[in-house]
Amino acid sequence: MLLTNEDRRLLLRPLRTAGWPLIAGMLGLQLASTLVPAGTAVTVAALVADLGSSSRADLFRAALLPLCLFGVVLGVGHLLEALSDPLQFAVKARIDGRHRAAVAELAATSPTIGTLEQPEVQELVRLAQAYPDNWTERTPGDGAITQLTVLVGSIGVLASCAVLARYAWWPVPLVLAAAALARAVGIRQGLAFFRVWRSGIKEGQKARVWADLLTDPAEGKEVRVFGLADWAVLRMRGHILAMFEPAWAVSTKDLRRQWPMVCLVVGSLGTTYAAVALSAVHGHTTVAVETAVFAAAWSVQQGFFGFDPRNQIGALPGLRAYEELKQKLAPRTTVRADVPPVPVPRTPPDPAVPPLVRFEKVGFTYPGTERTVLDGLDLEIRPGELLALVGLNGAGKSTLIKLLASLYEPTSGRITADGHDTADLGPDLWRRQVSVVFQDFVRYQLPLADNITLGQDTGAAPDRAVIEAASRDAGLEEVLARMPDGWGTPLARSRTGGVDLSGGQWQQVVLARALYAVRSGARLLVLDEPTAHLDVRTEFEVFQRLAEHRGGSSVVLISHRLSTVRQADRIAVLDGGRISESGTHEELIARGGSYAEMFAIQAERFASGYQDHIEEGELL
Amino acid sequence: MRVLRYPALWWELLRLCRRRVPGLVAGMFAAHLLTIAALVGSALSLRTAVNATLQHHTALAVSGALGAAAAYGISAGLTGCRGIFRVLLVEKVGLTDLHEQIHRDIAAVEGLDHLERTDFLDRVTVVKHSAWAIMDGLWAAVESVFNTGQVVASLLLLGTLSPWLLSLLVFAAVPLWFDQRGQSAVKRAETDTAEAFRLQQHLFELATSAAAGKEIRVAGTGAELSRRQTAAWEAAMRGRGRARMVAAAWKCGGWSVFTVGFVAGLGLIAYRAAHGSGTVGDIVLTVTVANSLRESVHAAVSRATVVAGSGRVIEPYLWLREQVAQDRARTRGSLAAPEVLRDGIEFRDVCYAYPGTDRMALDGVTVRIPAGSVVAIVGEYGSGKTTLVKLLGKFYRPDSGAVLVDGTDLAELETEGWRARSSAAFQDFARPRTGFAEAVGLGDLPHLEDRERIAEAVRAADAESLVARLPQGLDTQLGRKFGGVDLSEGQWQKTALARASMRQDPLLFVLDEPTASLDAPSEDAIFTRYMQRARELARRTGAVTVIVSHRFSTVTGADLILVLDRGRLVESGRHEELMELGGRYADLYSIQATAYAPIG
Repeated sequence: MLLTNEDRRLLLRPLRTAGWPLIAGMLGLQLASTLVPAGTAVTVAALVADLGSSSRADLFRAALLPLCLFGVVLGVGHLLEALSDPLQFAVKARIDGRHRAAVAELAATSPTIGTLEQPEVQELVRLAQAYPDNWTERTPGDGAITQLTVLVGSIGVLASCAVLARYAWWPVPLVLAAAALARAVGIRQGLAFFRVWRSGIKEGQKARVWADLLTDPAEGKEVRVFGLADWAVLRMRGHILAMFEPAWAVSTKDLRRQWPMVCLVVGSLGTTYAAVALSAVHGHTTVAVETAVFAAAWSVQQGFFGFDPRNQIGALPGLRAYEELKQKLAPRTTVRADVPPVPVPRTPPDPAVPPLVRFEKVGFTYPGTERTVLDGLDLEIRPGELLALVGLNGAGKSTLIKLLASLYEPTSGRITADGHDTADLGPDLWRRQVSVVFQDFVRYQLPLADNITLGQDTGAAPDRAVIEAASRDAGLEEVLARMPDGWGTPLARSRTGGVDLSGGQWQQVVLARALYAVRSGARLLVLDEPTAHLDVRTEFEVFQRLAEHRGGSSVVLISHRLSTVRQADRIAVLDGGRISESGTHEELIARGGSYAEMFAIQAERFASGYQDHIEEGELL
Repeated sequence: MRVLRYPALWWELLRLCRRRVPGLVAGMFAAHLLTIAALVGSALSLRTAVNATLQHHTALAVSGALGAAAAYGISAGLTGCRGIFRVLLVEKVGLTDLHEQIHRDIAAVEGLDHLERTDFLDRVTVVKHSAWAIMDGLWAAVESVFNTGQVVASLLLLGTLSPWLLSLLVFAAVPLWFDQRGQSAVKRAETDTAEAFRLQQHLFELATSAAAGKEIRVAGTGAELSRRQTAAWEAAMRGRGRARMVAAAWKCGGWSVFTVGFVAGLGLIAYRAAHGSGTVGDIVLTVTVANSLRESVHAAVSRATVVAGSGRVIEPYLWLREQVAQDRARTRGSLAAPEVLRDGIEFRDVCYAYPGTDRMALDGVTVRIPAGSVVAIVGEYGSGKTTLVKLLGKFYRPDSGAVLVDGTDLAELETEGWRARSSAAFQDFARPRTGFAEAVGLGDLPHLEDRERIAEAVRAADAESLVARLPQGLDTQLGRKFGGVDLSEGQWQKTALARASMRQDPLLFVLDEPTASLDAPSEDAIFTRYMQRARELARRTGAVTVIVSHRFSTVTGADLILVLDRGRLVESGRHEELMELGGRYADLYSIQATAYAPIG
């Protein structure tokens, strides 16, 4: 069969989230409308019965009652059909909304980031997001409603069968079997097409590569210089044909396969209709029964075609993906045997004093990989200092930051804040003290003010004065002055009254975000290559502002530009998974170690005319 | 005339379909006509069967019954066929001919300014994946006409019983009209709530992305994002749900009016039957028609809604076509590019401002670049470096002044011919997810398969170690999405450089920030090699090599350094000359250099 019982349960389960009043309403409506065809058959038969019997004196008056009844059934049928649309929409919106909220919350609140970064988990999220990418994908709402319709619809079919059985029992299995068979064939054809179409999606994505090449402003330059237009169109055609030709072949075959279905329907209906007509002509049954059979047999037939099985099949992958996501992302309480539990401090940390953070023999290996990124690393971040972290690409600087922010758990060793293991503090409590500006910071398509304050909500409305102070420190006034709606201007052109910011402007917004966090109580500010794509002068300015306005917070700065780094209070060099040396610029230069070497190379390269980044492979 | 644009477009597309898939077009029309015939046939057959039964006419009763069964069976089969025809027609023509035409048209526009204009790009975004929707609009229009025909045919059939019943046409027009209004309300709500819907999608994507997930966790915004996402979803759905309630109310109203009219009509038939001037079969016929009518009306309306909705795609499509036609109508150069460059390239008082801005991107630039030289263009962000390069590629036309190639105005050179004698690696290079060899070979299509040439280009770009690290070497598929590998920014840049090195005899070779994403040893190697290459090309064709950089330190070896500042050429000369001059170049050079000055 098409679906297993497990599938059906999975499909129906989301109905719970719609709430019983909506479900009861929809169920009642479906139940009523599924009985309309049988009702029509009965009332028409009654009408015909009255008019067909020539014995009554005032035929028309007698026929008035069935006529009115028919009118009522017809009218109610229309009304039910009209009302079911908004009701089904409401149910679908509720189910899909709850489903999406659940997926979003699951993904956004899992304590660490490692699982979410796995490509297979990202694919699960894509499948489970209830946002169809193409017509073969359906939402949980589609699946649940259709599954319910199928169940309720069978009651309507039974009712029509009962009408049919009033004439004779044998047309019931005949018509039922033929209809079921025709429907099964139709569904199988539909699903074959569905699967073939789906298997071509990869080709469709490849076609998009060329389509994008042809219409993208950046790539458009190369398309023109290298004369690629016709070639790209040809390639696009190739992939589109590869995607669609198999599906077209299935469709063309399906066209021819309509005949058996027509024959099935004509055969079963024809037998029943001819038999009932014969008996009626010979007086074995009445013309009223004949009329009722004409209508009822056809509605049995139609009862099987009143739903779209693709809604069920198309919804299942998303529902299964969600179940799997729950398994993978649900918070787990891991008990670590190597470290005895430390009581979490009862007293809230002193907001005025930044914590003393210590990496103690921290080791880290990404799950599923062999390479040890950090290997017994020891590092201190002293209260209030400005610490620069340098190292080659791939040395593990970003990993160190993620561990510091509890986005990963160390494979070995521990990270403490004022002596307490951050793992025991719990990510929430610990992260409240930390603020990180990542290189790929988040650009919320929300009002400017929210872009600065989001995440620092302490329950009360954000203090406008604090926002303004942080923005002043970040040099945001010029950006603000250009906002058509001031703080309320959404930072995306796609929103009403919104504007797009340039890369440099975003940089200032994010700096304001960081400084706002500091003013709201973050005592450790981490900047992961915040200005890598800016030129030296702008980076220098950003750095200056930060140093000036960070208050008493500790700052950890990652940068490739040693010209910026040299101004830090202390510089730590990450090499081979450990801190290989640390000290002030002067100390490290005097020491003549790898930092001094790097600095010399950059300085020399500048003097001889090269760029001022240190990169992969330079010192290895 | 504007009113007729849609029908004109549909007529054009219909002719295209007839040319490409005549069988399908004929099949579709036949299926629709047969559907109407089957509908009428089933009603007539049922009447015959009932009447013959009452008259005890066996043969007629049985053939009526069989006729009705046949009509029902055929209409069921036709429903399937129409669906298949529609998919085939829309996909076979929409996704090949029309889709290709759209992309070819966009790529055929000579310049680049249109692709950088948001009004143009917004429309491109809508149209580029929606060719099928344009085609679907056509066939929805056709179906809507036939569905309306179905309604009319049904009612005409009733008219044969009594001309009074023709008044039902009016009653049927009410739900048709009301339904249409309801559907417009639904469509309108969809547009009105589109922003809220986009916002919830944006927030959903943030909440579930791994990249944003880092900041979201540290800042603790997860719960708040989820709350806002749900709120935006509910706002969007509330608006849409309300519109559907409105549509349902319209529908209820329309069908109530119709039901009243219809039951009155049925009463008339019953009255006639009771008084001998009609038959009981007439009642069966009338009821049969009534049952199919809702479906016909609903189909007509929903198809008409699709037609109205297709305006979303058709409007930008027609707009784009107009733009492309205007571009084609502009005068284009026709002179062939010179075989070799003898004199050089000259900018003569060139001015250019981006459309819709009043700031001059280039402001009176005059400079002569001798054939065979290496030119460096330096300056800070927004100083006009890239604009100048784009003018050389004929991506823009100067607002005033001219660019001369060996004394001939670049505008008079045939664009394709000139570009065929250029090569370039741009700052925002293409990232074609193809095989690696192809990603390089695209730089010289006639030599796409020439492995030797490709290997040479790879060497020129210092990308051999990159190729060595690829699992299948040159044959490696790029893009993890396609089962290949993802390249880093620097690796893509090397690929772009290799691509730019495919052509052997360019007259113009452009390197726009060629090493921004590369590590230092690569940068060193690449500059050395490209200096050599520039000299080689200069010997062969007198080619000019242009290097754009915002790092002053990278280009000290160029023959000519052009210093741009806010669109103006402020200094030009060799490194030593400019340092001696003590002007802007020397200033900026020193600022960057002091960051590395020894301490104390």
